[in-house]
Amino acid sequence: MAGALTVVPRVMHLTLASRSLSPTAGTGYDRRAMDFALEQVSPELKPFQEEVRAWLKDAMAGSEHLRWSANWSTRENDEEYRFRRGLAEKLGARGWLFPTLQPEYGGAGLTAAHQTVLEAELSAYGLGLDHIFYTLARIVVPCILYHGTEEQKLEFLPPMTRGLISVWQVLTEPQSGSDVANVTTTAIRQGDEYLVNGQKIMVGHKVPPDWIWLLVCNDPSRPRHENLGWLYMPANLPGITIQHLPMLMGIKNAVFFDNVRVPAKYLVGGENNGWEVSNTHMELEHGGGGGLTGDPAVERLLEYCQATKRAGKPLIADPHVRDILADALIETHAVRLMNQRNYWHRLNRKPHPYGGPQLRYYQRTVRLRNAQRAQQILGYDAMVPNCDVHEVQDFEYLLRAGPGQLHGGGTLDTDRLIIARRMGLGRTVKEKAAVTI
Amino acid sequence: MDFSFTDEQEMLKESIADFMEREVKPDRVARSYQREDGYDAGLFRTAAQSGWLGMQIPEEFGGAGGSTMDTAVAFEGFGSGPLPAPVFSAGVLSPLLVLHGGSADQKRQLLPAMCKGELVATLAVSDSGMGFGPEMVEAELASGGDGFVLNGSKQFVQDGAPAGAYIVAARSPEGVSLALVERDRPGVSVRPHGGLLATVAEVRFENVRLPQAALLGAPGSGWDTIEAALEPALPVLCAFKVGACQQIFDTTVEYTRERIAFGQPIGRFQRVQDHVVELADHMDAARWITYETIWKLESGIPARGFVHEAKAAASEGYYQVVNYAHKVWAGPGTVMDHPLMAHHIASRVLYQYLGDPAYHKRRMMDALYPIPA
Repeated sequence: MAGALTVVPRVMHLTLASRSLSPTAGTGYDRRAMDFALEQVSPELKPFQEEVRAWLKDAMAGSEHLRWSANWSTRENDEEYRFRRGLAEKLGARGWLFPTLQPEYGGAGLTAAHQTVLEAELSAYGLGLDHIFYTLARIVVPCILYHGTEEQKLEFLPPMTRGLISVWQVLTEPQSGSDVANVTTTAIRQGDEYLVNGQKIMVGHKVPPDWIWLLVCNDPSRPRHENLGWLYMPANLPGITIQHLPMLMGIKNAVFFDNVRVPAKYLVGGENNGWEVSNTHMELEHGGGGGLTGDPAVERLLEYCQATKRAGKPLIADPHVRDILADALIETHAVRLMNQRNYWHRLNRKPHPYGGPQLRYYQRTVRLRNAQRAQQILGYDAMVPNCDVHEVQDFEYLLRAGPGQLHGGGTLDTDRLIIARRMGLGRTVKEKAAVTI
Repeated sequence: MDFSFTDEQEMLKESIADFMEREVKPDRVARSYQREDGYDAGLFRTAAQSGWLGMQIPEEFGGAGGSTMDTAVAFEGFGSGPLPAPVFSAGVLSPLLVLHGGSADQKRQLLPAMCKGELVATLAVSDSGMGFGPEMVEAELASGGDGFVLNGSKQFVQDGAPAGAYIVAARSPEGVSLALVERDRPGVSVRPHGGLLATVAEVRFENVRLPQAALLGAPGSGWDTIEAALEPALPVLCAFKVGACQQIFDTTVEYTRERIAFGQPIGRFQRVQDHVVELADHMDAARWITYETIWKLESGIPARGFVHEAKAAASEGYYQVVNYAHKVWAGPGTVMDHPLMAHHIASRVLYQYLGDPAYHKRRMMDALYPIPA
């Protein structure tokens, strides 16, 4: 540490004023430091942006009133669901649902910068590529891409990436929630098939799935983490029963597997090798994918306060309401930025060390607080049940989702556990985030 | 969209980190924050000689002509000390006040001296301890002789002790005006507070006679000048806090590995982990809101509301980061010589400095969502 003080020559700073903007190789992005711009794109991307904008305007025509329904929920209404599936199919037909994927897998072979254009244009309608409609393809596609055989990729990916089918992820069991490695649903090899038996719970959505992404135990006699497998299989095989399970945030399901015979070609990533595949899955489920949106619910709350009068005065003029809104806006803004940060890290193939689980943890705690904030502002009005009303007015859903989304994909405590491992708290070796693109 | 720094900014970051590691040793910082003036003259001199003052000021006035983001990169580095020197008040805010409020003559005379660190000036706004804003200005500037007479008592002036001049907000018949008052004028007295207010001093002005030329800008334009200067200045202060949070995070993570209790590193305890998780949330919220605000500012997007937001988020963030660090460091972190104590003092003082989070949240709402008429 010893040594004479080095005075940095002044001339170094003079170069700051005239820094040059040079293109970054590979990513397709313009090199501009700490640049948050979504609207401004490079001249090469301009035609694509215009194409997407015009196309989207056309595709959204007549359904603009649904624009705030961006975050998929488990209680979206039928009109909304039909609209979302139709939009996904149209995007998928152009390869735009998974734009960076090569065309033979159903993508468009575009760059990360193209995907950002698409995400940005969609976000103007409150939408994102992640959950156009209820399907977990966003997670399942990378898992198969990384862990499937070429044959599986060619067969399984296009229906998902073209938005033609809905997929549920089916992991949780009554005795295996956050402790997901504890699953006891078995898939035992018998000739060319796996015989699947067991029960899953709290999964899916009110509309039945076309395909299922299923975590199973291949061999109960083997040690934990070394006995798992993943099946990507049709949802209509004999022996599968789905039962609705009404929950705080809407309809979820119990799924029963009773001697279901699953052709062996549906096993992805190898027998007893499921924990490896889970790393890709979990990183994406735990926030590592990132995105460009915050929480449209807070924008709705703000609009409501601007439009609604109480005692002759707009709610937005009430100092107490303004203080509550300020906190909601700041925290939700931070959620959006962490989301955007993760998105950027992922698309540059440099996963943020703890960013995925951090986003997930922070986002869920903020949603919980925002739910209470909505009640503080609206009072009883926030709790009026009206499932038919679009989410644009449906603050009751916000009140349900705040506490209702605390457990999905693992509790807040598992988030914190992963963050701690990634930060290397109390340990010299830091756990690494999986690359998912 | 690109969330990386330019090569030049990376170089600047490195040279500041080098300086901080070589010169700004934890014991030196701790000593400074225990002095009653919270100040290390040697470190300030080095910063000045290195060209780290007046970075946003145009080259024609002796500055570096750098962007706000460049300046923020440097100040994020200074925050990881925290550097016990008035680099922000004297090297960012005061020059920007002169740049936005000063006459051509004043800019020519004052700015080069400020950028060289020869003129160490600091802003004095509120007379009492609570609140920020034009209505908190009580000092009076009256006409007298060929110029003015200033009376007032600014009880809490950041960097009041090391300053050689004060940019004083005072009431004149036209409204709030700004005057540059040299410390050696008769009637000026300075009393450092010490303790948690190690970087703050009370500055009194008793019948201080000032020439016409002391006035910064037209009479009554003082608050507009302050607002104009705060817009590019506050995000730099936010970056300082973000850098402070990062250092606290880094050292705290290290501590969870080294400190053994109940037979294992304390970082193995999930309750200890939780503190670090919350710490990082506050740090990263402050970081990204600050960066995006600077980007907006420099992209010509109306940014005033977001500047207020950043100040609220970074002040709250720094404060909470220190609190969570206390939970991990426990006893040792409260020994006055411990590196966390300098951050403790800075986080408390900077929470108030130039308006607390409650003030800035309200200003943010007023800027983004004005109350309908």
